[in-house]
Amino acid sequence: MGSAPKTMIVIPAFNEENSLPEVLAHLALVVPDHTVVVVDDGSSDRTYHVARRSGVNCLRLPFNLGIGGALRAGFRFAFEQGFDRVVQFDADGQHDAHQIIELLDGIDQGADLVIGSRFAGVGDYNVGRARYAGMGVLRVLVRALSGQKFTDTSSGFRAISRRLLGHFAVDYPLEYMDSTEALITACRLGYDVREVPVTMHERSGGEASNRSFRLVYNYLRLLVVLATSARRKAPALGENP
Amino acid sequence: MSTGAHLLLIAVTGGTIYVILRLVRRQVLRAKYSLLWVTVGFGLLLIAAWPALLDLIANSLGVNYQPALFLMLAVAFLLILVVHFSFELSRLESRVRTLAEEIALLRHDADIRTPELSDDADSISDEGRDE
Repeated sequence: MGSAPKTMIVIPAFNEENSLPEVLAHLALVVPDHTVVVVDDGSSDRTYHVARRSGVNCLRLPFNLGIGGALRAGFRFAFEQGFDRVVQFDADGQHDAHQIIELLDGIDQGADLVIGSRFAGVGDYNVGRARYAGMGVLRVLVRALSGQKFTDTSSGFRAISRRLLGHFAVDYPLEYMDSTEALITACRLGYDVREVPVTMHERSGGEASNRSFRLVYNYLRLLVVLATSARRKAPALGENP
Repeated sequence: MSTGAHLLLIAVTGGTIYVILRLVRRQVLRAKYSLLWVTVGFGLLLIAAWPALLDLIANSLGVNYQPALFLMLAVAFLLILVVHFSFELSRLESRVRTLAEEIALLRHDADIRTPELSDDADSISDEGRDE
């Protein structure tokens, strides 16, 4: 490793014109060396213009693809632009830019996916009881399927190595609960997945998605995906330095 | 079956075939689907015009109740078709997604070449969005 690794921060944003300026300003202050890319997921507000005025890159999707789709577009961009590490960051201001460094440390130590966990000890992040129960089920499920123990399977605060990026750029889970699916996929494919404790702020905008019917549906869907993914050959972009 | 019902059945089936042929002529339906539906349509017309044919087939297959044979075949055919459509729909959706990504990446390339973002540019690009 001769030169410093190139790092990109990808921020999927759907109608986040209110919270975005503060998030971007904070990132520019804390991690000025990293390239910031906002993926405007078909917003109907001025998300795209807010991002461009802040001087960051912005990928504008022609219509809403959902968070997984927005992330895949960002990963594809990162891979094509030759970035070595990618950090996935929320547009609603609940992630702390200072902790990006801790996630990236994990990548530098050889991990392919480092997850910022809300429940690994630091900070006191509160979720509703139903949501907590749901997360508990997910934890058990993920443990059974991946053989590894994680305290937070759905956190959207993550760092990704270039090795895994080549995979996610073409094949990233596109539906709701993408983060859990991505975690299990990475484990199954033999990537090195780790967890570091993080603190999270209250969301400054938007709402957590936790409709119970949708959750049940998505648990079932996740099971189908996992059952069928076991023997599937994973597509990935080749390494071109 | 009464003569009235018989004639009605023939008329409806004939009408369906006519609609399909019209769609094909206007090139709204792709050839592979039109062929499928025209074949099905003529099969139905044959049975509608000559119900004894169904009895004949059912008897030769050892089915006592002819409508059961007809319904079973119809359900099986429609099931296969729906599965096929789900497959095509999934493929189309994945292609549309990839195209959307491609557009976003290309637009970003264009953005780099025109770094100034004027308010005119805002209004023009906003007009193109229909949601």
